[in-house]
Amino acid sequence: MRRPNPGILTMLPVLVFLLAGFVIPILVVALYSLMPPRTFDLAGSPTFTNYATAFADGYWRPLMWSALGAAATTLICLVLAWPTARALDRFAGRWATLVTLLIALPIFISESVRLFGLALFMMPGGGILAGSIDALFGVSIGTILYTRLAALLGLVYIHFPFVLFPLLLGVSLVPKDQVAAARDLGASGWQVFREIEAPLAAPGAAVGALLCFVLSLGANAEMNILGGQAVTVITNAIEQRFNYAQDWPLGAALTVLTVLLTAAVVFPVLRRIDVDSLARR
Amino acid sequence: MNGRAKPLFDSLQAAWLLLVLVLLYIPMISVALASLSNTRYMLFPHRTWTTDAYADALAGYTTGALHLTSLRIALLVVVISVVLASFGALAFARFDWRGRRAFQRFLVLPLFFPQPVLGLALLVYFTALGITPSWQTAAFAHLVWIVPVVTLVISIRLYNYDVLQEDAAFDLGATRLQVLREVTLPALAPGIVSGALFAFLLSWSNLPLSVFTSGADTTLPEWLYSRTATNYSPMVPAIAVIATAVSAMVVIAAALGLSLARGRDGAGTTS
Repeated sequence: MRRPNPGILTMLPVLVFLLAGFVIPILVVALYSLMPPRTFDLAGSPTFTNYATAFADGYWRPLMWSALGAAATTLICLVLAWPTARALDRFAGRWATLVTLLIALPIFISESVRLFGLALFMMPGGGILAGSIDALFGVSIGTILYTRLAALLGLVYIHFPFVLFPLLLGVSLVPKDQVAAARDLGASGWQVFREIEAPLAAPGAAVGALLCFVLSLGANAEMNILGGQAVTVITNAIEQRFNYAQDWPLGAALTVLTVLLTAAVVFPVLRRIDVDSLARR
Repeated sequence: MNGRAKPLFDSLQAAWLLLVLVLLYIPMISVALASLSNTRYMLFPHRTWTTDAYADALAGYTTGALHLTSLRIALLVVVISVVLASFGALAFARFDWRGRRAFQRFLVLPLFFPQPVLGLALLVYFTALGITPSWQTAAFAHLVWIVPVVTLVISIRLYNYDVLQEDAAFDLGATRLQVLREVTLPALAPGIVSGALFAFLLSWSNLPLSVFTSGADTTLPEWLYSRTATNYSPMVPAIAVIATAVSAMVVIAAALGLSLARGRDGAGTTS
């Protein structure tokens, strides 16, 4: 080599930034989680009291609700995204490009606008849906707004594109002639799915599912706008500790537990996926 | 080929896509419909359909202030993320070096991280450092998430880039700076423009990071979020529509600018 390796030089700015903005903040929070309860500096002697309190005071509950919500969201999104990805792939090149674009656009519209719109739609009495049905048919309907179901609906709504697009990438890799050949040889639809489509689309599905799970794990706007505080999710629990209870170490301990749960899900999947080849497509 | 069941299956698939689209756009349509009223209570269908709320929103001081805060953050995010990510993308996709795989994996980690939790962690971090949260800290928080996105966007463009062009330029006696300016940057340009667009839109619409890290400053999504629960008036959906329209205009302007630049470039190379 006639020049020093430029790879290391060019990655330095991003590396330094992510160390300062991502790694160190998480380490600082981890340090706080070891401080004595209700202290605000990092000078105390390390203790695991906050973790003990987190479990004793039932804080596993919001974490469990968040994890359950995230798992349900991921599952529902996968089930909805699969036929959508198949259909988009089927019509690829025709108006599917426009449809794909139209599905992607809402990602860039603020979550607060979209969740607000869902709430307006579901509102009882004079809501968009209830009001229209009342005006058209004279029937007044109830609402699921401010229930867990509404929050789950919001979670699915917001995270659907994050599952769809990686999955679409996976589905587009399934060779059409291979499916046709299997069909000609008498394979059933289920067999084609299990033996050919699912394994080939798996990396895309894994990335989508992972994104969806992690993003919905921390989600709280859905609960606050649509769920009407029917459940306390982990982000709300952490926020309450930090802001209202002024107990930073306990809030930090809850944050660390959430980060550990995230890492336990992300690392095994991410290790098996080749980021390089996925980005290359 | 399995031809028999196809027409029916095709129309089923098309119907499914249509249903997905309708469902996806229900919230936006709902917001737009709600904005066309003049009552403080949501009572659809409206007795009177009016655009008064838009007049109020445009006349009000808040609308401008909110847009200004969001705009400041988004512009700062665009500039910094594009600079950092352009270098990052070269390391990600262009150069071969030991540790590239590890770097690629590290870079995507912030994307696989719950944003509100990141926002809360950053709030603690800023406070521990003695920094009072404001729109600048919100921009910093946005960057943690947006720099990896923009790096990926630019990298995807770079994979199609022919490295030999650079070697040829070096062989012809070009300096490092000349190669960067004449060969590498023009090749990166389309990626940089799409990256900047992503950065702007993602920052403009971000709620979970802003909510915890913007301190006393309020961005558009934050304000809408707080107003969905209390103090409802048709001005809230009206401002939501205006804010969304502003981001749409930015996209259209960027697309127009890009196609103009491309047209000029094309003319330049042929002559």
